[in-house]
Amino acid sequence: MIKRCEDIRDRIGAWMDGELSRSGAEEVRVHLESCQACCEERRQLEKLQASLEAVLVAGPSNVSFERFWPGVEQRINRKRVWHEDFFGRVRDLLTPPQLAWLVPAVIILVLTGVFSFESFFPGSRLAVQRNNFAAVDSIDAFGRNVAVLRENETKTTIIWLYQNQEGEDESTGEKTDASPSF
Amino acid sequence: MSLLGKRLTRALLSSSILCFLAGFAGAAEITSQIVQIKIGAILASNQGDEFDSRLAPLEKQLKLMKYRSYRLLKEESQKVQRKGNATFDIPGGRSLVVTPQESGTKQLALRVHLQQGGKPLIDTTVRLNSGGNFLLGGPPHEGGALVISISATAQ
Amino acid sequence: MEFSDWDLVQKCQAGETSAFQELVSRYQQKIFMVVLGLLRDREDSMDVAQEAFFRAYRKIKGFKGGSSFYTWLYRIAVNMAIDAQRRQKRNPLEFRDNMDAVLEEQNEVEKDPFSNVRDKELRAGLIAAINDLTAEHKAVIILRTVEGLPYKDIGEILGCSEGTVMSRLHYARKKLQGKLKAFL
Repeated sequence: MIKRCEDIRDRIGAWMDGELSRSGAEEVRVHLESCQACCEERRQLEKLQASLEAVLVAGPSNVSFERFWPGVEQRINRKRVWHEDFFGRVRDLLTPPQLAWLVPAVIILVLTGVFSFESFFPGSRLAVQRNNFAAVDSIDAFGRNVAVLRENETKTTIIWLYQNQEGEDESTGEKTDASPSF
Repeated sequence: MSLLGKRLTRALLSSSILCFLAGFAGAAEITSQIVQIKIGAILASNQGDEFDSRLAPLEKQLKLMKYRSYRLLKEESQKVQRKGNATFDIPGGRSLVVTPQESGTKQLALRVHLQQGGKPLIDTTVRLNSGGNFLLGGPPHEGGALVISISATAQ
Repeated sequence: MEFSDWDLVQKCQAGETSAFQELVSRYQQKIFMVVLGLLRDREDSMDVAQEAFFRAYRKIKGFKGGSSFYTWLYRIAVNMAIDAQRRQKRNPLEFRDNMDAVLEEQNEVEKDPFSNVRDKELRAGLIAAINDLTAEHKAVIILRTVEGLPYKDIGEILGCSEGTVMSRLHYARKKLQGKLKAFL
């Protein structure tokens, strides 16, 4: 019985508002006919509702609206300062609550994509440019001239082995063109 | 706080946490034992003006050398354990051996040994970020110069 | 010939400001009452209500008729009132004083339903209890009590389900009941 009363009391407000289904409303109505405790709950809610209406509706109901439209019209005709307009548009963009999550979600996706791009596409141009500098810890060119070039814009490290002047490479029969210019 | 304010705050808070965690993930030390080594052997010369379209990802890097023509001769990829050797045949009777080292840092360390006909040309140890690359060039080949792009990715 | 809300919206979208004026005159009191219920200050409420109509005017070209015009308008007004509420720094006692001032100004004192002293205490307690509710709970109480809107429309205005409206109303009423038990 106690559980039934709890269930009924949870629904008295919706019953008073006419928002229950026909069977639900009937259930509440029949229970109220026989239960004193729930009847008392109904009485209290009805008094609360009446008090709320008195405070929220009856009091200020005779406010004059003569100057209401002129106030709105003034706002429509007023030239907005640029930043009011800008922030107004930004607010309009963010206002729909269903879409408010979208803006930070897009920011997360973009940032995550940028930070993790090289994990998914390690050989990609973006990855190459972002984190490509190699450090040369040791180098042994076995007597040949060697140069290490590090280029900042492309973040490239080039180790260049020059031909031996004494013609060691000539024995391989390789003809060579000019050395590169960096 | 308004409904919109609460939702925005919640979304911004969770996005900040996600970004923070992503940052940590990026900064994590590389402990993987398998490394994928990828090499590209390229002929750089002043004969002709050809730029091999397969070399598009490396275009900016290669053009630092100011040759007029670049042609991809060979591309190969191998997976190797740390301290293991990945050996590549390079055009012109050359051979490239790449050995990933233990690094203890977030970078990969590669020992690179290039030889020709059994004679060593260069032996170098290079540190780079996973997914990064460097160029090793200079040996003469077919009227131009051989450039080898070496990249490594921790698996 | 009386135009429907949608007819007036379309005229407004075509550039007829007079059509918007007609919409304003239809809903100005309703919007003001809802905002007043949330803000409890007449001047602020008048200001926010006018601003809500202005914002609706700016956005009306984007209104596609997916919901009814009045729920769309209420949504704008309620969100603005909730934002304005955060900026208010007054305490509940001042709210009661303001209500007295409103009533006196409008010569409503003799018609005051709270003429009995005990009832006056109930009114003061009720105003304080309403102000203690969270913005979401206050909004459902206002929309249901002031406008008598069905749960479905309240849900559309506040961007939540009918079930959530029912649950919030139940919670809000329970809270008010608890605070005013001695008077009910």
